[in-house]
Order: sequence, then structure tokens, then C-alpha cells
Amino acid sequence: MTAMSENKRVLQVKDLNVSYQKLRVLFDASIEISAGEVVVVVGRNGAGKTTLFRTVSGFLKQDKGTILFKGEDIGALPPYEVALKGLKYIQQDKHVFADLTVRENLELGSYATKDYDWDRVLEHFPKLKTLMDRKGGNLSGGERQMLLMAQSLLGRPDLVLMDEPTEGLAPHVIDDLKVAFKKIRGQTTLMIIEQNLPLTAEVADRVYAMKEGKIVAEIVDKQEIKDLKFEKYL
Amino acid sequence: MNDRLEVLRTMNKLIEYLRGPFVLIVLIVFARYVFPSKMTFLVEITTFSIYIIANDILYGYMGMVSFGQPFYLGVGAYTAAIYLAHVGHDPLVAIVLAILMGLVTGAILGPAYIRLRGDYFALINAASCGLGLFLVEKTFLAFTRGDDGLWYRSRMHATPLLDLRRPDEFFWFAMIVLFLVLVWYTWLNRSTLGASFRAIKVNESKMKFLGYNTFVIRWTGFTLNCVLAALAGAMFAVNYGFVNPSITAPDRAAEVLVATLLGGPGSIYGPFFGTVAFIGLRDVVSAFVSRWELAMGILTIIVCFKFRGGVWGTIQILGNKLKGLKGKSSAQSA
Repeated sequence: MTAMSENKRVLQVKDLNVSYQKLRVLFDASIEISAGEVVVVVGRNGAGKTTLFRTVSGFLKQDKGTILFKGEDIGALPPYEVALKGLKYIQQDKHVFADLTVRENLELGSYATKDYDWDRVLEHFPKLKTLMDRKGGNLSGGERQMLLMAQSLLGRPDLVLMDEPTEGLAPHVIDDLKVAFKKIRGQTTLMIIEQNLPLTAEVADRVYAMKEGKIVAEIVDKQEIKDLKFEKYL
Repeated sequence: MNDRLEVLRTMNKLIEYLRGPFVLIVLIVFARYVFPSKMTFLVEITTFSIYIIANDILYGYMGMVSFGQPFYLGVGAYTAAIYLAHVGHDPLVAIVLAILMGLVTGAILGPAYIRLRGDYFALINAASCGLGLFLVEKTFLAFTRGDDGLWYRSRMHATPLLDLRRPDEFFWFAMIVLFLVLVWYTWLNRSTLGASFRAIKVNESKMKFLGYNTFVIRWTGFTLNCVLAALAGAMFAVNYGFVNPSITAPDRAAEVLVATLLGGPGSIYGPFFGTVAFIGLRDVVSAFVSRWELAMGILTIIVCFKFRGGVWGTIQILGNKLKGLKGKSSAQSA
């Protein structure tokens, strides 16, 4: 583990074990994230990345292990309480509320958190300002991802978990998201599951590699990340 | 300056909420004077619309199909009827008691029922219907008089301003209630609560990730359904001065769903137009054919395959097309 001061730690996951019924899928997973970091989790399909995120966000319950968020144990909390404490999770499926407009989607994000400062959020996603009255179902994949990110930033979360945000998106849209990631990092801490290695190399401060339900490596050296040294764990 | 703008904005919003319901009520009142013999029909439409709005919250907004709506209608009807037959004489008190009973029913049954999803939710509600029928037919025979039903018109006292015992005055009372319900329903449609109902239907997990306790939201929706259905039940009870167990019979559960579907689920005026289509068709067709359900069945199949937005959805599509044509012709002339 990298040396991090205790008080700056946003998330500490220790010896997390998770099973789907009798099938164990996470084995003693431990991670730590400090405020302001961008941490990327890489690994093949089935490595346990999404299970890790779903457990941290309260959707799955662990068999063993602790999840400390800002020093508080959130392992037993339901997902909505975890979200209200400032830990947001953007799922892989990029589902926005298709029947609601962009404005209504944002209103739902605001109402839960009582944060109506849309200007702060939309400065990172200016395109959304022109799409306010469009239904979520009529947005492109990139626009949906932007809306999900904007929605999750309402309430000034301390940590945002993103599950494969660039999956299925066109290269120019990924470039736009890259810019957004860089702007957002000053506002919150990001933990991202990503298969796009060049993007990972560009935005990650640290990388965790997962294989068969275990954290098999933690790469902290910036040069190693840039050189895609973590590729060997995939 | 800002204060004046704020006042103007609030006024505009208020007018927006009141305009649609007001126009609808004016149309019903107009119909009453043009077709005086159809007043009973119009009152039935008004009361039934409230019942369909209740179901629309569950089905149209939250995507929860219930085969137990007659039970919640029966809760209101029997609360009002038992009060008027055994306890008091004031129809307004009976309606208020029915609303409270709807609230209590939703609050108590909600936490258990809304844990179930899809077909299980539909079936537990159907079971409630059967249970309700048994209770009013057998268990509480002393209060409900079983299959004979309760008759209490002669026990009802006149109410101030509008005498609800008189059909022509009950008509105005029904107009006021429908107007208030529609204004509230317009607000719901545009509120965050309404948006969260619709969001739950599409993606409940995501609502949880946003920080919403979806259990409480569904419980709220279920309870609102119970309250409105009970209100409709009480209005039936006061209007007819008579209630029998058929009001809560499980075989009447389908008609609520069909009317909701015909009108266009999840829209402000869908329940009203669904009611008009359902009751109108029933009355018109049954004058010629004894099995009017056949025509209703065919119409429902057509709506399911061709007009998912129902009557109101189709009216909106036609309206938008007309607007488009108007826009085109004015652009050409320019």
C-alpha cells in the first residue's frame, strides 16, 4: 500500500469477501483511496471489479471484511444511505431515466441531495445545457454518460465510483469524457473501472489490478502506469 | 423587481395547474346542460375517473399492476356506508372517514405488499379482494347485511351549501372533488414525487444510487392509491345511498386496468378519457348486444397493439401533427 495520511483517506476496504449464494467471488480484497485521487481498477471480465463496486456502494453485502467511508463503517448500510453520505455509484449500463427529460433527471439528483447548484456541475458538461428538454431515452451514449456524471456530482460527493464509463462510446466522445474527468478530479475523488488502457494511463494516479476475485497488484509509479506496466496482470 | 417576477412566475404556475382541470370541468358541465338526461352518466364518469386516477398512480406511474383495486374501492364505500347506516347521518363526515380509512389501509398493508413485485404484487392484491368480499359477505354480516347490502339514503341528513342527497346537487359536489383531484394530479405529474414514481418504474436501482429510499416512495404511491380509491368508493356510496358486496368483487379488477389502459397510463387526463371510453362503450354497446365485454376486449387488443398511449395519447399525437401542419403552412406562406 502506498503511504497515505489517515485523515485524507476517503475509502478503506479491508479483507472484503463477497459471495453470490455459495459461490465466493471476492477474496480478501483491500483497497484505500485518498481525497482527490483518481484510482482505476483494471481486470478481465469476471475478475470481481463490479462486485467490488456494488459491495462498496451497499448493493451487495459482504460475508467478511470492513468498508470504511470517511472513517465510518458503511458495510451494513442500504445503498440510498451510502449515496446520501457522499459515495455515488454510476453503473455500467448507462441507464438514465428514459421517460424523463434531462432537466427532470437532474432534478431527481438535486432533490435527493438538496443541491441545486447546476451551474457548477454543468460547466463540465456544457452540451447538457442545450439538451435540457430532451428525454433521456433520446440521448446518445456519450450524452447519457455525461448526464449520469452530472447527476452524480450533485450533492458534492466525496467519492464517485464509475463502472466502465467509456464502454461502447465513440473515440471523440471518450476524448470529451477525458477532459471532463480531468476537470472533475479537483471536485471529488474518482474510482473507475476501465478497460480502455490508454485512457487509464492518462488519468490514473494509481491502478489496482484484479484477477479471479483478488487484488493482485497496486501500481503507484506514474511512469509504470504511463508505460501500461499493469497490462501483464490482465 | 425580483419579487414581482417571482409573484408572476408563481401566478403562471398556478394558472398552468388550474387551466386544464377547469376546461375539463366546464366541458362536463356543458354536457350536463346539453344532455340533461345524462347527468347520472356524467356523475358516474366523474367518480370512476377518481378511481382510475388511483390505479394510474400504481400502474401508469410506478408500473405496479394490481388486481385488487375493488378492495380499496370497497374499503371507502363500506366505511361510508357503515357510518351512514349505523352511526351518523352526515355524508361529508362519511367521506372524510372513508379517506382516513384508505390512508390507514395503505399505511398498514403497504409495507407488506410493496415488498412483492410483478405477478406476486398483482396476486396478493387479488387475494385481498377475495378476502374483502368474504369479510363483507360473511364475517361482518351484522354490519354489512351481507348480500342484501346496506341501504341508508333515508338516514342521510342534508349537508350545508350542497345537499348531497339530491342528485343535481351531488353533481356539483362531484365536479368540485374532480377539479381538486385533477389539480393535485397535475401537480403530481410535474413534481419531483411524480418524477420519482416514474423513475422507479424504469430503474429502481439507480434511484437507490441517487440516494432515494425507494421503499418509502413505493409505499407513498401505494397509500395515495388507497386514499383515492377509498374517496371514489365513498362517493359511490353517498351518491347511490346503497352498497353491496359486488363493489369489492375480484372479477371487477380487470375493468380498472382496462380503463387505465384505454385512457393512456401515466398521463394527467388519461384516466378521465379512459373512463369515458370504458363507461361510454359499455353503455352504448350494451344497448345493442348483451355481451358488451366482447367489444371491450377487441378495443383493448387494438389499444395494446396499435395505440399504446390510449385515447389521451392519441389525442396528443393528433394535436402535435396538427400543430406541425400549421407550422408548415405558415412557414410556406411566409
